[in-house]
Amino acid sequence: MKKTSLKGLDLDIFTEKLDNGLEVIFIPYTDKKNYFITYATRYGSTVTKFKPVGSKRMVSVPTGIAHFLEHKMFEQEDGVDPFTFFSMSGTGANASTSFDSTQYICYGTKNFKENFDFLIKYVNSPYFTAENVEKEKGIIIEELKMYLDIPDYRLENKLKESVYKTHPRRIDIGGTISDVESITKEDLYKCYDSFYVPNNMFIIVAGNFDKDEAISIVKDNLKDKKKVKLPEIKEVKEQISVNKKMDSFEADINVSKLAFGLKIPTTSLSIKNDLELDLYLSMFISIVFGISSEFREKLRNKKLINNFYTELEKIKDFRVFNIMASTENIDELIKDIKYELKNIKTDKDTFERIKKVWIANEVRITDNVDATVGNIYDDMIKYNKVITNRVELIRKMDFKKLNKLLTEIDFNNYSIVKLNVKDAK
Amino acid sequence: MKYITKNLRTCKLHIIKTKKFKTITVRINFRSPIVKNEITMRNILAEMFTQSSKNYKTKRDLTIKAQDLYSVGVNTSTNRLGNYTNLNFFLNVLNDKYTEKDNFIEAFNFFTDIIFNPDVEDNKFNKERLDIVKDLCRKTLLSIKEDPASYSVLRMYESIDSNSPISYRMVGYLNDLDKINESNLYDYYLKVLNNDLVDIFVIGDVKEAEIIKLVKDKIKFKTLKKERVPYILKEVKPRTRLLKVTESIVNNQSNLVIGCRINNISEYERNYVLTLFNVIFGGSPDSKLFKEVREKNSLCYTIRSVPNKFDNLLVIRAGIDKENYNKTVTLIDKILTSMKKGKFTDSDINIAKEYYKTALDDILEDENRIIDDYFMSEIISTDNIDEKRKNINKVTKSEIVKVAKKIKMDTIYLLEGDINEKN
Repeated sequence: MKKTSLKGLDLDIFTEKLDNGLEVIFIPYTDKKNYFITYATRYGSTVTKFKPVGSKRMVSVPTGIAHFLEHKMFEQEDGVDPFTFFSMSGTGANASTSFDSTQYICYGTKNFKENFDFLIKYVNSPYFTAENVEKEKGIIIEELKMYLDIPDYRLENKLKESVYKTHPRRIDIGGTISDVESITKEDLYKCYDSFYVPNNMFIIVAGNFDKDEAISIVKDNLKDKKKVKLPEIKEVKEQISVNKKMDSFEADINVSKLAFGLKIPTTSLSIKNDLELDLYLSMFISIVFGISSEFREKLRNKKLINNFYTELEKIKDFRVFNIMASTENIDELIKDIKYELKNIKTDKDTFERIKKVWIANEVRITDNVDATVGNIYDDMIKYNKVITNRVELIRKMDFKKLNKLLTEIDFNNYSIVKLNVKDAK
Repeated sequence: MKYITKNLRTCKLHIIKTKKFKTITVRINFRSPIVKNEITMRNILAEMFTQSSKNYKTKRDLTIKAQDLYSVGVNTSTNRLGNYTNLNFFLNVLNDKYTEKDNFIEAFNFFTDIIFNPDVEDNKFNKERLDIVKDLCRKTLLSIKEDPASYSVLRMYESIDSNSPISYRMVGYLNDLDKINESNLYDYYLKVLNNDLVDIFVIGDVKEAEIIKLVKDKIKFKTLKKERVPYILKEVKPRTRLLKVTESIVNNQSNLVIGCRINNISEYERNYVLTLFNVIFGGSPDSKLFKEVREKNSLCYTIRSVPNKFDNLLVIRAGIDKENYNKTVTLIDKILTSMKKGKFTDSDINIAKEYYKTALDDILEDENRIIDDYFMSEIISTDNIDEKRKNINKVTKSEIVKVAKKIKMDTIYLLEGDINEKN
């Protein structure tokens, strides 16, 4: 395995790419008793049109299928429920699906060998029957309904519908209820066989384990798995401008909400490296809209907001900067955000201070095995590799470069969604 | 890991020396018997410290200072444990090894200055800041139904016993909010300083003598305090006829919350047997509730039971379709009854014990959980981790059955999702 030191973090990372394309990333800790494992595929909810293995035709599958598949992986032909298996050593297990990936995790302090082996085995043995697929529908529909009852969640979905014209991020990760009802075991196998292949997957382990023992568990299980030609996924051409400038809906709430999404096409920007671009855009967000910004102080003093949350979304050729906020005066908040974007002020002191904060947070993350795995997981999904020199990259960030970048962005390309109070008095 | 306690007469200092973490964490716990109409005041007070101090007049100034100290985390929180309410102050700072010399000392001084040198003039908190905090609190209180899961639990607590601290809304009350002003908040602040019991926890790679000196220099109280009431609530017999409460909300899903009373339970049962009972019954994805209600009958996505040791309660929660209400309640009741009849295996018990032991191991990987553990042994004399590891192995099946029999359903609350028009 290849050893790399994470600079400035007192941590070593071991990586290996098997012949079949599977990437393995280990971060052994000497002073911890616990471990955290994720086994992931670069396949998430946004893949709904592709050419399955051995097929020449593009097929469409129901929305929400990646998430459905994640649920059904817990079904095993021999009847051993993965939750029960992990429970025998008091080990926790779970799985999650995002727009771009699906992961299966387990975390505990005992039986590393057996648990790691089992995790790999069960993710490699799908068992879908008409009956067990049908049974899952009730569970998943309750999950979808649970999310539908959270106003913030609905607002976020509405914002994506406004920002994106064609990109599948418009559709909820869980899919629509009617699509979920239509899913069959054949659909599931089609997706499983196409995307749960070694060259589309990776494993990350951090914590208390023996890396040599771990790599042999991986190889024993997966050495016979062949590299497979990855299916062609229907590429969607997303338009530069937002789909809808303004939208609104109502809900039975007492404090209204605003969602704002600035769509930034990245192909014309001077920073070409994805990670570098994300660092500079995050810096912009922190300086202008972050907790220590003058903007936030102004809003606080005006009692304009109670929640304020920012996020940077990454899709191919675009970034989307999202703001979600609760406010009793949506229009005033919109005015303030627009004003801020027209009059962007950056200063070197803040720039340097935010760098210090980020570096401190990188150190903090390494104190915790699940946060460490989470950090690397994000890197693997967003940048297709582990970023081993992030602290150094942050240190080297250049104030002038930030200001140049900001002159290249069209700050008028945004969507606004208002969530109004129903029957406002 | 080395644990040192030092009684400083007006407060108690706990130092946990360990090289395991790259940060140092400090927690200062203030606690006193809970008073319903002070809950909102206490929340407002907790929030005030995060908005300004005498030396840092705005949240922005405070944040910039914190960021300059390599992003120190300073937070406050309030909660209830049985008959008591806590007001906690948290500090988390990187060890000087990762920053620069004396960064920890400066962070500690910044932290204690926020607590003991608040934004007060003429015995009054800053009105402008208070208005901001009150407004934030008001909006939070107006938004509580946005999280139907927590809201339904809160309504179950109010339904089961409207006089007991169980029913107190820890988010506070709009009526009480209106009564808070700059002066009475300052009076309350003094009352907290003078009457609350105080424990200070410091964990990390620290020097004992340095910490003792820092604490003695920066943290001073005038009065000696004593515990006045027990932490654990008095037991209450379950009602003879189940109470069923249904309220409706414009939602897709219905939230079912069942409150069970626990009676005649010993300390040993509370700390060990009840925990194992719960893991088997509904505390994990391998539990009876999860397997029967969710996996076999597809009635829900979420189902979980949580024991509330301080209140002698067991709470069961599930997100269901309203059509399935009777079916779900009947099934849960059947599973509880089968636990009482001992319909679970030795393997179920062993699995639950393993869960418990992993949870013990996990405590040692997290500064805050380590502090929580020492805090529990401080207030309710729980055993230390090694003793817990030994004792859990002793629990037998008949003991779990015995505890199961002490659990009785009392109140069934349904927040019925009623969606007529879709958005």
